[in-house]
Amino acid sequence: MKTFKEILENRHAYAKSWKAKTGRKVLGFYDTYFPEEVAYAAGLMPVRILAEHEADDVTDRLMYGNCYCTRDMLNQFARGRYDYIDGLVSIESCQWWYNAFDTTLIMFPDLFSHYLFTPDYLDARTSKDVMRSELSVFAERLEEWLGTKITDEKLDDAINVYNKNRALLRRIYELRRFDTPVILGSETMEIMLANQVMDKAEANVMLESLLSDIEKREPYQDCVRLMLLGSETYDVSLERLVESLGANVVVDELDNGTGCIANDVIPLKDRLMAIGLRYLGKPHSALKDSIWRRRQERIFQLYEDWQADGVIIAKQIYCHPHGTDMYAVWKLLRERNIPYITFERDTTLPQEETRLAVEGLISQIEPGRTRIAGWSRSGAKTG
Amino acid sequence: MNKQRWETRPLEIWGKAKELRAQWQRSINEAAERPGAMLAHGNTGEFDWSIGFDDLTVIEDNPVGAMMASKSDAFSRKCRLASEVRGWGREICGYVQNCWGSQFLGYEMDDGAFPFRDMSIPFPDPCDQHLKRGQQCMDLSPIPRWGADYPMYLGPLDPKREQAFIDHTVYCYLQIIDDIERIFDHKFDDEKMIGSLNILPALREQALRISRLMTHTPAPIGQKELYSFYTLGLLTKVDPKETLDFWTSFADEVQWRVDNHIAAVATERFRWMEAHPSPWNFLKYFRYMEKYGAVCIGSQYSHIISGPIELGEDGQFHHIQRKKPPEGQEIRTREDAFRHIFTEARGYRFKDDEYCRKWTITDFAKGFHVDGAIMPLWRGGVGCTLTRKEQGLRLSEMGVHVLHYEGSQPGDRTDLDERRFLDQLDTWMESLGLEKLEA
Repeated sequence: MKTFKEILENRHAYAKSWKAKTGRKVLGFYDTYFPEEVAYAAGLMPVRILAEHEADDVTDRLMYGNCYCTRDMLNQFARGRYDYIDGLVSIESCQWWYNAFDTTLIMFPDLFSHYLFTPDYLDARTSKDVMRSELSVFAERLEEWLGTKITDEKLDDAINVYNKNRALLRRIYELRRFDTPVILGSETMEIMLANQVMDKAEANVMLESLLSDIEKREPYQDCVRLMLLGSETYDVSLERLVESLGANVVVDELDNGTGCIANDVIPLKDRLMAIGLRYLGKPHSALKDSIWRRRQERIFQLYEDWQADGVIIAKQIYCHPHGTDMYAVWKLLRERNIPYITFERDTTLPQEETRLAVEGLISQIEPGRTRIAGWSRSGAKTG
Repeated sequence: MNKQRWETRPLEIWGKAKELRAQWQRSINEAAERPGAMLAHGNTGEFDWSIGFDDLTVIEDNPVGAMMASKSDAFSRKCRLASEVRGWGREICGYVQNCWGSQFLGYEMDDGAFPFRDMSIPFPDPCDQHLKRGQQCMDLSPIPRWGADYPMYLGPLDPKREQAFIDHTVYCYLQIIDDIERIFDHKFDDEKMIGSLNILPALREQALRISRLMTHTPAPIGQKELYSFYTLGLLTKVDPKETLDFWTSFADEVQWRVDNHIAAVATERFRWMEAHPSPWNFLKYFRYMEKYGAVCIGSQYSHIISGPIELGEDGQFHHIQRKKPPEGQEIRTREDAFRHIFTEARGYRFKDDEYCRKWTITDFAKGFHVDGAIMPLWRGGVGCTLTRKEQGLRLSEMGVHVLHYEGSQPGDRTDLDERRFLDQLDTWMESLGLEKLEA
């Protein structure tokens, strides 16, 4: 059976083969606020556009000041890596993502494209209505493009597939709460990233099988438990580096980590409203957390629940949503006496610099010291 | 070798403009001190809150931060340092770092106490940094806060989407007013608000007169004059009647200058445009360019005061009018008034040109007969940079000479190499065959 790692590494081949096998189309998207269920119900495979580590001699002419992820997304299109993508959707979200979307369309004007407005003000009474209206407009555009009807039955099926997918991924995260986890941070992030570029029905079959295997695994050695915050990640190099230093990323508060699996679509007669409510209600991204600060509380909750010893904040250079929130996150960590480091990264991770920073953090942490009194690591098995 | 071609002289309206700006500054400090007065952080561009709530002063951090950058490098550095130690880095807008840095310090440029905000009202804007910037005053104390959106979509006009967006925006604003009335026990004056709806269109008429007059050669005024006045009535709100009178007098004076061939730059021989704000700490480059006989006729950004405009087939800029509700009926209620305000021509709002009407940058260049464009590339404050490279390419394709320069953000001088910038200007001008007319 294919592994998630293999799919992630060969994701373009996977998508092409899916297209050949099903005769259906692939829709690219950027942000995890994109309501994939609607596209899935239309028979599309939604694929998240991921950044790569590829030399870029294209984007400098067209972009300035963007984070390197969004530059690389454009670079990937320009190099033909995404030549199987039939359509592209952007939502109201980070402007750099919008810029990648917009500039890609200048290069490839024949792609199907849509801009879906997802309210930034998530809590207004009318946010639900405007989101519902936008989903309905989006569904109509898909129907027109594909010549298909998005029925309630198809939406129900999509909701079930996606709810199941999120539930299975939450089980993977639960396994990381153990004192001696049976799965590493790098393995989890590989699953999360692969899952974002896969047909979710197939991902669900793979996840079920993986879970039954993984639950029988011998736990890994007891080690320093770290939490990862910051800009979205597109590879697992940081998690691997952490593991090479005798620590493990046990939980994250990334938009494409816990942020995208935390809540489900609660069935309603009005399916589009149900889907809209799920996306309005998901844990706030740094950008959408613009009125009441909800991120801090959630970060602390995850930190406590997964019994982390310290925090790594890895921000993409020029990531303004996370840059703006840094103040609030630092404040939380300082007030709670939580050890942390912050560093900026490019699409590639500066290995030596990061190694030194993470070593510094680990050396600060005495496992158990920052925990709730009485908690003990005794009795941990070794892997 | 000063080849003066036209007469030039300072604007007579200067004194009045300074007076209005000072009046606005005073209103902030008074609102912070006067019992019962309310001071809010928020957006003032779309709606003048003080018309309905006569004791409410709303301020944006843009003009505050820009003024700090322009007036005191030492103080704005101190503010940015106060921000940086709390976690903000180079990608953060300089206005935000200056204004809220001052809040972190607790005092202002003149050593007076920082005027703490009583509430935070929404700042919906296409720029992500605007969206997030109300949180700093909320973090300080649990003041009332609200949100709103700046809904947008691409493609042809879609009545269904328009309706949903307008309903959402109107609801958000009505809720805020209800809450302010309830929480602060201040009554909103619906009648006054409805009566004021004609102020902005009237102001835009005068501003459009000025924009059109600036297409003349020689340009009667330049960007540096426009920058001195363009926030009056938009971001810096003072008495509406006084503001309108000011713009009418200003337009009359510009008309007089055109009629009498009074130039902004006496040696005008090269016209250039900009995109988005300039480095507020280093505005001397406008005068430096004048040594080459080069006049800046503004930017889409500085001509925003004219409202939604587009270039007509007659080569003139015209207002885009849109049928606004309630069509053919009198505006009777607060809700009618807000529906009227927010039914703006989509694609013609602030920065919509970067999303929906990308050709307008070339229309602007055409309408103002520009020879060149100086386009800043700002590293911080995403809204100041988005699509700037693309715009440069579009202008180059139509034959406009483009120069890009780099810096942090208009309110943050950290990364702007001033010497290098002037060298760039020299090289650029010389490459176009232009020598300095004066030393």
